Order: sequence, then C-alpha cells, then structure tokens
Amino acid sequence: MQELKILYLYPDILELYGDFGNIQVLKYRLEKRGINAIIDSYSIGDESPDFCSYDLIFAGGGADQEQSILAKDLIKYKENIQEAINNGIFFLLICGAYQLFGKYYKDVNGDIIPGLEIFDYYTEAINDRKKRCIGNIVIDVTLDNIKTKVIGFENHGGQTFNITNPFGQVIVGNGNKFGDTEEGFFLENVIATYLHGPLLSKNPDLTDFIIKYCLEKKYNQNINLEPLDDTFENLCRKQLIDKFCSSNK
Amino acid sequence: MKNFLIILIMKILNFILKILGKKGGNFLGKLAYDWNDEIFKYFKISCPVIAVTATNGKTMTNNAIGFLFKEAGKKVISNIEGNNMETGILSTLLKNCSLTGKINADFLVFEVDEGYIPILFKDLRLDTLVILNFFRDQLDRNGEVESLILKINEFLKTYNGNLVLNSDDPNVSRLAKANPENKNIYYFSVDKYKFATKEIKEAGEGKFCPFCNSKLDYDYYQYSHIGKFKCPNCKYGNNSIFKIAKNVNLENKSFEVDGINYKTKFNSIYNIYNFTAVISVVSLYDIDTNIIQKALEKFQLNNGRMEELIIKDCKTIINLAKNPTGSNVSLRILNEDNDEKELLFVLNDNLADGKDVSWIWDINFDELKNVSRIVTSGSRAYDIAIRIKTSGYDDNKIFPHLNLDEAVKDLYSTNSKKYVIANYTALQPTRKEILSLK
Repeated sequence: MQELKILYLYPDILELYGDFGNIQVLKYRLEKRGINAIIDSYSIGDESPDFCSYDLIFAGGGADQEQSILAKDLIKYKENIQEAINNGIFFLLICGAYQLFGKYYKDVNGDIIPGLEIFDYYTEAINDRKKRCIGNIVIDVTLDNIKTKVIGFENHGGQTFNITNPFGQVIVGNGNKFGDTEEGFFLENVIATYLHGPLLSKNPDLTDFIIKYCLEKKYNQNINLEPLDDTFENLCRKQLIDKFCSSNK
Repeated sequence: MKNFLIILIMKILNFILKILGKKGGNFLGKLAYDWNDEIFKYFKISCPVIAVTATNGKTMTNNAIGFLFKEAGKKVISNIEGNNMETGILSTLLKNCSLTGKINADFLVFEVDEGYIPILFKDLRLDTLVILNFFRDQLDRNGEVESLILKINEFLKTYNGNLVLNSDDPNVSRLAKANPENKNIYYFSVDKYKFATKEIKEAGEGKFCPFCNSKLDYDYYQYSHIGKFKCPNCKYGNNSIFKIAKNVNLENKSFEVDGINYKTKFNSIYNIYNFTAVISVVSLYDIDTNIIQKALEKFQLNNGRMEELIIKDCKTIINLAKNPTGSNVSLRILNEDNDEKELLFVLNDNLADGKDVSWIWDINFDELKNVSRIVTSGSRAYDIAIRIKTSGYDDNKIFPHLNLDEAVKDLYSTNSKKYVIANYTALQPTRKEILSLK
C-alpha cells in the first residue's frame, strides 16, 4: 500500500480560516484511492520534527498576535526547512505561513517580525488597520502545462513584494497586493498563497497536482491518479466562477 | 428643543409605521442618530440598565432576563427582536419614552452587539453588563476576535457597574481585570457535564493566557474552548464563582443552582450557560427563586432558536447557526439524540452572513449519529455538501439544492425526524418555507 507522510505545522495556532480543511481534503483524496495518509502535527513544545522525513509540509494562517509567538519557534528549524526544500519536499503554505517563509513581516506599528528568509519576498502591512484585502478571489494557474482556475477567499492586511514566480494571475480579487495582477508564490515544490476557502476544497485539480508530485517523488515513477467522483466540486466550481466573475464585470 | 423635536417626529413616524403594519427595526434610531449622535444623553432613565453581549446566545439570554423580570411583575423595556446595534436600541428607547425623554420602566434590558458596547454606553448609563462568550464569527466582517475583546476591555477600564462574566471562557473572564478598582465582578460557571471532553472537539479561541502568553491547561472542555482552564504560569483562571449550575441533566432539561432545581425547555449545555447567566443577573436584583423557577420552565423562543415544530407529522428542530460554535452546538444536540433523523443545512453568503464561508470547515461533522440523509441548500449549498462529504459522510446520502423550495420539499419527502441548521440570512426564509408545509 502506498502512503504519504504529511507534516501539519502548528495546527492549534495556524487554524483561523478553516485551513485545516486542506489536510482533510488531502486525506480524503488519498484514502479514496487506497493511499495511506499519515498526518503528524507539530506545535510549540513538541519534539523537533525532521522535515526531510516527510513528503508534504503544510501550514496555514493565524491571528496576528499568535503568529508572532510562533515565528520565534519556527526560526529554530530554518536549516532543516531549507534542506527539505532543497531535497524537493513539497511545501503548501497559506496566508500567515506564506508570509513567515519570506524575509520579514512589518506590522501596522512598523515593528519587524523576522521571517525564515527562505525566499526573497517580504510583506508589509498597510498603515491603515482597517484596510485589508478581503473577498472572493479567482486566479489563473498553470499546473503541469494545463491552465486551470483556482478559487478561494483572501483576507490579509499584508502586502507581499518582490515575488519572482507568482502562483497565479488574478482574474477577480486582489492578490499579493491591493489590485495586484499576481497572486502567491510558486516553485516546483512550493505553493505559497493567500487563498483560504479552504484552498483545496474547491480545487480538486490542484490537490491532485500536489498528490501526484509527492507520490512521483517518493516512489520515483510516473503516477496516474485514479479519477474520483467530483460531482459536488464541479457543480460548486461552475456556480462560483459564474457568480464571482460576473459580479466583477 | 432639538431633541424634543426629534422625539416628536420619531413618534409620529412610528405611528405611521404602525398603521402600515411595519415594525421599523433600526429605522427610527438610524434617523434620530444621524440627526443628533448625542441624543442618548437626553433620555431620563431612573431604573437599572442591563446589557447582554456575546458572540452567541445574546437573544436567548436577553429575552430570558426580560421574561423573568416580567413574570416577577416588573415593567421591562427590551429589544427582544434582536435589533442590537446603537440604532436598534435607540429605536426601542424612542418608542418607549415620553416627549421629554422620560423612560417609565422598572428595568431596561438590552442585547448589544459585541462591537457596539463602547459606542452605546458612552452616553447611556449601564448598571449590569453580562458577557457570555467570544467565538470566531464572520472574520471577514468583524476581524479577529482579539481586537473586539480589546475594545471592550478598553471600555471596561472606567466601568464600575456589575460585571457578570462566564468564568469558563478565558477570553471573557479576563475582562474582570480591566478595572482593578471594580469590585462588582460576578462569575458564573457550569459543572462538568456528561459530554465534556479531555481534548478540544471544536475550533476555539482560548489557547494562550491573555496575561502571560503561556499555553493554558484545561481539565476539560464543555464545548468549543469553554471549560475548566488554568494558566500553569500565572495561575489565571482561579475565580471565585457567584453562581454555578450543577447536576446538569440534558434528558430532563434540568440543572441546579444553589441547591434549587431548575427545569427549562432547552436541552443543550450551551443554554445552561445562558440560563446560569440569567439567574446570576436576576439574583442581583432580588427576584425570588420561586418566581425564577416557574418562569424558566415556561420560557421559550419562537424565532428559529432551538424551535421545535411538527411539520407533516415530522418532529422538526430549527436552529440558527451563524458561526462554527453555533453549528457545533446544534450538532451536539443532534448527536445527543438517539433517534434516526435527517439534517437540512442552509448556508448563505450574503453580506450579513459574511462572504467567507471557510468557517464551515471548523464545524465538526465527524461521527454523525443516526443521520440517514443530509439535504443542503442556500447560495453555498455545494460548499457545505463538499464539507460534509470530506468528513467521511457517504456522498450518496447528500442532496444539494441551490433552490430552497426544492430542498425543503426533498427534506419532507421522508417521514423521519428533522434537524434544520440555517445561518443568519438563511434562517427566516428557511423557517417560512418549512412553515408553509404545515
């Protein structure tokens, strides 16, 4: 029986916007295909994990105050995380976690929360506390040379700069900054994005893209994933793309 | 003179609205407030003013307090229809005052939106404030819970009135320390109940000590993050309790406070917290326990808050759930009921609901007990269907309908017991659709 090992970072802290749903969707789509999903979690106070022993690392978004507490903890693992990324282990980073992997986060008061500095982008909050990028968002993404739409919800005050490879092109919504054309950050084995929803719940193609990458890397062979019954997902996508894209014209 | 004129005009408008058969909601208050935002100063109020705030349970608790006072023969003015922002409360005052702004009542009892406490009570006297709980709620509209709590904390720094606080919510009981001079702090609590758990079952907020940032230790969780907690570092959490509910019995819908048994029409742990708050408040005003006992047994709400109906011979229980905790409480009640049943979940994403529906992933749909079928509806019927399917519930037994009329017809195509959960803007249309089958 095939298996995937997933490390879920700070599930008790980075869980503000239902991001845990991403883990549930991964588990669901793995188990439906008879693939064992091993999900370990790590949070403050737990024994140090070895990031290199996993196939997929996931982290979500949290409340500002709690996020600054965990930034200090995460930085202890910087070298191990860098090594895992170099080894091609897949990282899915949402919202707060996306920001934490950059150079720094400058908050509303101008205080700097240092990031892991794994990537060169950085994030700065807008001075006006009330101004946030909030709303439904649809982006165009290319996965394995196939263009598809990714649907989600963004809610962030931070504006992320210096992105070299965006995850997608914004059709509806803001993206990395207010009124941006680009959303998120994308490498062969990294997706960092502001999209909640949870992200994977409405984007089965994206979920399968991640699963396929992880399995191919782990078992070093071409993998063709067995198709699943996505009736609800397809109905949902059609309804929401129509609704969001038409309301923005 | 200006205020006199405002009140006069609002009274005339109210009279016209009445003839037209309209309730008016916030309308009068909004007009008057836009005209003079200091109008609250004009009212002459000599009776106690009581306010209830929380994320969940405001309407239930507010209406129960008002009902108990009324049963005790007191004259009560209250916003029982749930218009809980400053304009809604102003509407209530305008309808019930004399032209000189005099309010003739024994008690004013208001439910107040969490965000509006500092605004409303800037110019209006407050004698007793009840705070039940803080949960995540429409994050895209309200922002994070913490910023809301900080606003109330700021207001409480100069407040010296009675403060009735849920001792088992770390984000509520912390507010006792906002003003160290205030000696009128009354904590309420509920003893560990049958379905309390060692680990948290549903999304919650109380993870870190608000005073020293240490991770809080919990002896047990009643629901969400409500439970017996303590900070291992600074010992926060050791409160001396004013009223505690003991011997909670959900089958009999009963509990005890100070050795007196109370029966109610509601069977959830969450309502027992609300009623313990109610008992705490009315005891501060010397209402006889006999009267409380009798009134609580009679008290009910017919507005889709744990409302029980018989529709086409099927027992139907409707409950509002506008956030994860509200939904989890409804599912707790469903799972604590051994009968076979079907669930209808109606989820809208209108402005008043919050456009972000990702909160449904914080609802615990694991281990649904004896649920034979689930119908979903609302503008996000498919989202909730995907959510339920992913939790492991058989997708062949899930029936999504964007159209509410079709969903309700589908629900009543069988004759088992029905549980209906609807979010904010979905509740009344759903209720109406269901009642039309009666």
